[in-house]
Amino acid sequence: MLFGKNVNRYYFKYFHLFLIGVAALLLVDYIQLLIPENYGKLVDLINDKTLTLDSLLKIVYNMLFITLCMFVGRFAWRLAVLNVGVKVETDLRIRMFNKMASLSQDYFQIHKTGAQMALYTNDLMSIKNCFTDGIIFFIDAFFLGGLAIYKMVKINVLLTIIASTPLVFLVLFGGIIGKIIDKRYDARQKAFENLSDFVQEHFSGIAVIKAFVKEKLELREFIKNNKEFSEKNVGFIKFSVALDVLFSTLIGSITVIIIGYGTHLVITTSGAEDAFTAGKLIEFVSYFGQLTWPAMALASLINMISQGSASLKRINKLLNYEVMVKDGKDIVKVDHLDGYIECKNLDFTYPGSAVKTLENINFTIRPGEKVGIIGRTGCGKTTIVDLLTRVYNVEENTLFIDGIDIMKLPIKQVRDLIAYVPQDNFLYNDTVLNNIAFSKEHLSLVEAKKFAKFACVDDNIMEFPHQYDTIIGERGVSLSGGQKQRISMARAMAKDAPILILDDAVSAVDTKTEAEILKTLKEHFQDKTIIMIAHRVSTIASLDKIILMDNGKIVAIGTNDELYANVPMYQEIVDLQRLEGGDE
Amino acid sequence: MITILLIMAILLLTSQKRKQNVIGNFKSKTTNDQKKLKRMEKGVYRLLYKYTKLDIDKFILALFMMLIVVGISLITPILLGYAVTVLSEASINVKKIVIIIVIYVVILLISFIIQYFQAVILAKAGDHIVYKMREDVFTKLESLSINQLNETPVGKLVTRVTTDTSALNDMYTSTIVNLIKNILTIIGVIIVMLVINFKLTLWILVTTPVVAVLSYIFRKLARKIYRKVRTGITNVNTSLSENISGIKLTQVFNQEKKQCDHFREINNELKHNYSRQILVYGIFRPSIYAIYVLTIVLLFYIGGKQIIDSNFVLTSGLIVTFYAFIEKLFTPIQNLAEQFNVLQSALAAGERIYEVLNTKCEIEDQEEAIEVDHLDGEIEFKNVWFAYEEDDWILKDVSFKVHAKENVALVGATGAGKTTILSLIVRNYDIQKGQILIDGKDIKSYKITSLRKHIGQMLQDVFLFSGTIESNITLRDETITHEEVVEACEFVNADKVIAKLPEKYNDIVRERGKNFSSGERQLISFARVISHKPNIMILDEATANIDTETEALIQDSLKKIMNIGTMLIVAHRLSTIQHCDKIIVLRKGRIIEMGNHFELLEKKGYYYNLYRLQYKDNEKVSVN
Repeated sequence: MLFGKNVNRYYFKYFHLFLIGVAALLLVDYIQLLIPENYGKLVDLINDKTLTLDSLLKIVYNMLFITLCMFVGRFAWRLAVLNVGVKVETDLRIRMFNKMASLSQDYFQIHKTGAQMALYTNDLMSIKNCFTDGIIFFIDAFFLGGLAIYKMVKINVLLTIIASTPLVFLVLFGGIIGKIIDKRYDARQKAFENLSDFVQEHFSGIAVIKAFVKEKLELREFIKNNKEFSEKNVGFIKFSVALDVLFSTLIGSITVIIIGYGTHLVITTSGAEDAFTAGKLIEFVSYFGQLTWPAMALASLINMISQGSASLKRINKLLNYEVMVKDGKDIVKVDHLDGYIECKNLDFTYPGSAVKTLENINFTIRPGEKVGIIGRTGCGKTTIVDLLTRVYNVEENTLFIDGIDIMKLPIKQVRDLIAYVPQDNFLYNDTVLNNIAFSKEHLSLVEAKKFAKFACVDDNIMEFPHQYDTIIGERGVSLSGGQKQRISMARAMAKDAPILILDDAVSAVDTKTEAEILKTLKEHFQDKTIIMIAHRVSTIASLDKIILMDNGKIVAIGTNDELYANVPMYQEIVDLQRLEGGDE
Repeated sequence: MITILLIMAILLLTSQKRKQNVIGNFKSKTTNDQKKLKRMEKGVYRLLYKYTKLDIDKFILALFMMLIVVGISLITPILLGYAVTVLSEASINVKKIVIIIVIYVVILLISFIIQYFQAVILAKAGDHIVYKMREDVFTKLESLSINQLNETPVGKLVTRVTTDTSALNDMYTSTIVNLIKNILTIIGVIIVMLVINFKLTLWILVTTPVVAVLSYIFRKLARKIYRKVRTGITNVNTSLSENISGIKLTQVFNQEKKQCDHFREINNELKHNYSRQILVYGIFRPSIYAIYVLTIVLLFYIGGKQIIDSNFVLTSGLIVTFYAFIEKLFTPIQNLAEQFNVLQSALAAGERIYEVLNTKCEIEDQEEAIEVDHLDGEIEFKNVWFAYEEDDWILKDVSFKVHAKENVALVGATGAGKTTILSLIVRNYDIQKGQILIDGKDIKSYKITSLRKHIGQMLQDVFLFSGTIESNITLRDETITHEEVVEACEFVNADKVIAKLPEKYNDIVRERGKNFSSGERQLISFARVISHKPNIMILDEATANIDTETEALIQDSLKKIMNIGTMLIVAHRLSTIQHCDKIIVLRKGRIIEMGNHFELLEKKGYYYNLYRLQYKDNEKVSVN
């Protein structure tokens, strides 16, 4: 029962299921109300003392037929309607995922992971509810409810008014009460989350707590959280119990009123043509029993749909989000790129930021050249990599590859040119082999091993419980920062692209291993362009060229010796990292 | 009395069931495990008894109230039937009807009041018990040694304190009571029906075994498929959060299509399992409903025939009463299976809680341990042997002495035992052989809290709590003034970093301090140590990923800190430690060299080689 952009198509796509579902629901609702009719008839026949075996059998056959129809109908609507829900949910989730995979970093900077996950869980769930419960509730509320009232009216109009007026209030206030309940429930849930977060953080930092002997203070804080949850918990239960009991009492009281007024009717109309018999009274009470559910369904339907539309709005925002980084219209097609990089007066400001991150950057990198970039945290080193890999758009005619503006090259081709070891060494929750083979699906174990050896991580991998088949992040296998960095490095090497970029990729690696990796790079990656970002001078000292950066600008470019001789800032960095003593 | 017997019976029944499950699952396990299982089970009951005792009066009251509610709820169908009978008579007795209505209203009111108070009393009692239990579990876990805690993932610890206790809360407030209520209702309804019409009741009860069997089969199928659906949802969500975090990498590696295809695959698997779940429920629910209607049909047929046969001596009241009773019978029967399930998992949670509460802390104070308000800072290791696991010696016969106010560095490869030595001093572990002395006394003769209070620890993993900068330095200790915090920050050069923040000392620190760089985090945790005014300091290195500027700040702080008191320091970069009074070189758990920087260089041993290796990198630079 939800309409809008991006979901209307499902009504056409799953039309047959909707048709079956709705038809079955209508059938069930109709048949269901035949039970009270037969029940009342039986009571009347007994009361009139006119019941015979034949008339009894007729009622029994009727009832058997009803049973069969109910079974088939209920089975059919469950299968049809509930499957629509699952199909819609799955399809929407995949569409959202595909869209997300195409979005550029500007989106992810504004939309945090937690909020993203909520789209896929809470919002998707409330849309699914609209498609399943929404349809069921809608038909039950209007068809079952309407039919029950119609049959009640046929028995007695005044009694129907008396019986259904309180239900109208139930529908009207049901929505409000539902919101209050939700609010109390949320408050309780929030308190529980707070408690759970506190405990989570407490035990994550238990080493600090113990080192500083803060157990008692922490316990005091825990008690505070525990009390809060306890209060919210009792508050919620009290309220919901009161509502529950109140509701059943309300239904009970209406039943009493029906019986009271019904008795009056039975007495006054006794003997008349269309007498209100005891059987009619029983039938009426049964209809009333069937009416409580549609009333509740109607009340929750309103909340459900308003929630669903709010969720759909959020999901639409994702599905309609404009992709910023995409191939332009004036694309230049090239067969092959050598990877000659040139920056000309490049400025860059992150989307949504007011400050320039890069200013007037000029440099060239020839194919096969080995270049180091050094500078303080936040001076723009990583930003340069982000621009080279077209994670962000740059101004036209500022960054060129093989003399062609990067904005005019197909993104896929630019990215194929570059293998990249990111700073945060993110690995997928998959086997070591699959992680190394991330961009080379059919990489053999032998080859993967070769690259792992290049990255000096083969020995470590062989010590894992299942070696190259070990799943990263699974219980019992916690990789050190250095190991992750080196697997990430092997992954980039396996891509076998002309340009290899290492963003602070050896920071967690000890001096000896670092030296080995540098040696490998020199020997096996002679023909590739290598760009290394580093903090330690030792990492980049022997490269062809070093770019020294500060505050988004290039301070100087030159070899290690040139920079040490001429640039005070570089001298300072080197001296700080130098050791005393050793006078040979 | 009856109710208490009933509780016992239910608990016994579930435990029997669980035992079979467990033993069935691990047939090959030894009798030893079975013994342990038995002990655990007894433990759960002792645990439940101990806590239930706290509010036993409330529980008895609630059970008594429930008995009344169940009892009077059995009257309404009879009243309804009687009313119809009265109405069917030729001359209707209005007085009787009035009496019926009055009784009905009274019942309604009584059960309204009793039900409300019963639920509230239970909620309060259950909450009170679980509140206490939660606090006990937390206190117990907190008291365990670091080693014991590190063996368990944090997630599990959190589950013990929160989810497991909540499961018991549900058990106290609803599960047991509903279970008893349902069983009593079923028994009550059957007895009353039997009394009213024996033969009709027997006919009607024909369908109940079918319901029971069907529920049993359904429960098994549903559980199996539920597990698959759960796993599917977990897979989808794991893949999602992973892909959101790794999106940049995927794009730069041009692997969007591969990731999308994979995501589609696990989604389709989930869809498939969802459909199967729908099918299972789609058969079960309508079947139960059909059986319910069939039971009504049975009532109509058998009851109707009886009425005809009795020549209408039996009235339509019989049909009306039984109709209402059948409704009352079917709801609890359907719920029973589910409630046994819930009870079972609550007891399993109880077992886990029992296990926690009965864990013995590995490291405890000796009885005659003393409290001290100051340590001079003389540390001595005498032939110390230590192993985390039996016979796998990490430290082998380690002896050294650190004089008060001395600075000593520990050097060696990963796994040489440097961090172990530091953690032994603060008694995170107890040694197997030898002795550790502080100020000439065995460290075991001090109270652990007293020992740790005077030893400042800079740990390898810097951990910041969510809160503010200041709360991270004081760690909620209100005796540390703001001035002292500022002073400590100035001392370690953290003040410059903090001055740049918009809210200064009240600036928000997010979970694990992720909104600060690792260098900044380190400075803050330095300030934390200094503000607690230790007599001895131990520093375990954590200086990767730090840019030169921050490193200079840290170096400067270190030099100042070195004047505070005794200091033990572990570092990989020799530039950090070359000024120490003494350097201890460890290799595979043994001390191989000891002396100051220049003495060790002259030895031309392990330290010299280490120095050469690190020096060489910078040599090229300084040759110019």
